[in-house]
Amino acid sequence: MSTATPEPGKLRTEELTINMGPQHPSTHGVLRVELITDGEIIKAAYPHLGYLHRCFEKHAETRDYVQIVPFVDRMDYLASMNMELGYVMAVEKLLAAEIPERAQAIRVIVCELNRIASHLLAVGTYAIDLGAFTPFLYAFRDREKILHIFEKICGARLLYNYIRPGGVARDVNKDTLAEIVEFCKYFKPLLHELDALLSFNSIFVNRTAGIAVIKTDMAVSYGLSGPNLRGSGYDWDLRKNAPYCGYEKYDFDVCVATAEKGELGDCWNRYHVRVREMFESLKIIEQAATQIPEGPISGGVGKTIKAEGEVFLTTECPRGELGYHLVADGTKKPHRLKVKSPCLNAISVLDELSAGMMLADIVALIGSIDIVLGEVDR
Amino acid sequence: MATNKSGVRQYFANIFDAIRTVSGGMAITMRAFLKSNGLIRKKLGGYDYGRGTVTLSYPESKEVLPALSRNRLFNHVEGCISCNQCAVVCPVDCITIESRKKNDDEDSGEKTPERFKSKPIKLKLLRFDIDEALCCFCGLCTEVCPTECLVHTAEFEYSKYDRDKFVYDYLNFNDDNPLIPSDA
Repeated sequence: MSTATPEPGKLRTEELTINMGPQHPSTHGVLRVELITDGEIIKAAYPHLGYLHRCFEKHAETRDYVQIVPFVDRMDYLASMNMELGYVMAVEKLLAAEIPERAQAIRVIVCELNRIASHLLAVGTYAIDLGAFTPFLYAFRDREKILHIFEKICGARLLYNYIRPGGVARDVNKDTLAEIVEFCKYFKPLLHELDALLSFNSIFVNRTAGIAVIKTDMAVSYGLSGPNLRGSGYDWDLRKNAPYCGYEKYDFDVCVATAEKGELGDCWNRYHVRVREMFESLKIIEQAATQIPEGPISGGVGKTIKAEGEVFLTTECPRGELGYHLVADGTKKPHRLKVKSPCLNAISVLDELSAGMMLADIVALIGSIDIVLGEVDR
Repeated sequence: MATNKSGVRQYFANIFDAIRTVSGGMAITMRAFLKSNGLIRKKLGGYDYGRGTVTLSYPESKEVLPALSRNRLFNHVEGCISCNQCAVVCPVDCITIESRKKNDDEDSGEKTPERFKSKPIKLKLLRFDIDEALCCFCGLCTEVCPTECLVHTAEFEYSKYDRDKFVYDYLNFNDDNPLIPSDA
């Protein structure tokens, strides 16, 4: 008789440590999550960061203000325009520069287009994480059109280097503006279609509704922002609450989760806030593209930028509030550039939230908080 | 989802709900399939996609890139005045320029060709290298170029087996095809 065989009813159990990532498709980048599991229940999840650390903040201290813009692009590479806007506005605030109206309108257009592109990718890959392949293709078909518009405007599809201190790099001509308006007309019915295809599919709803609930006060205490905060039912959008870059001129609504399915703060609501936000972005783009004033596209900032002082500025990016803390010492290069990343806050809920969750649900959670590791690690 | 039903009723209600919502999605994909194959002509969701598939079979058919698109750099050396501005503005320092003052016997009144703004060439260009493996395609160098001789070309297929091969020496280019270095 073997001694290793336990008696019936007294099976030996132990915790199992699983490494999820860094090369795991559903971690959306190089995130490694160390999962302590008990059967299929997760006891703890420790995210390990730093796989995409590129020393951006230190490197920025060795470059001119204009030269930093391409590096800023590479933080959140899915929403580069929004990354640029925050940095450039911080520099302009430092110089107390007045930016031409046309440049501001162009900035709003490209940022909102980029928000749609980013949300399309978030929604599409989220569907793929949960086993629905088709919405991903639909999302990418339309995202491609946005990238084409970007390529026409500034020459690049992802890393634009388009928004510069003082304005934008190139003007948007009438044809491209017409193409943007045309895109809005084209995209709106297709977005309804994407919504109908995925959002209320009962398989998808069962995988997401009621899963990984972030209560409103928990979301606030963790400092979540953007769709993650609004998905928890907190009405806060910097474009509305502290308008910048002329957002006060446009008529749009802030999308707050309604708990149509599931409950406030669950994966489904965070997902659906993104879908609805795309409609609002379309509204903004249509207004901005039709009301765009004539005039110069840059001004107010000299060719060589020398600044002195200290600013902190936040903007509403697709993934939340991105903050730049810029300290300048009067030379051509910043003394210190600190970035407050929304994704870092989002990823910090992982530990608390995942305890007691099923193993398959952590994929739903990571997808729904929509992190980009380039921005977490910088 | 209704939760006040119990037992068997709930079981079948769930199945029915799943079938209803999934077939709603299936109808959308089926319409898109028929539409893209030209089997139905009706406008889909109020907008005409156009016929045919949206996928590009890449190596066979290539996309026409917009005029502004930023791909591999190219320097027309006959227009270069060795001003070094591109090398200074480059955020990743991928451009290396060497030049010297012209000797007495060299033509001091030389100018760049008209299409490069006819600027006087006061320095002799000895070396103009761009390490394309480092280049981040930000386009800053082409914007500062005073003669507009440094440009982004439309060429994006230039992968190599060796990283050293990415260093393009623009003073030493193939005459037949000006975009291909002579040692390639």
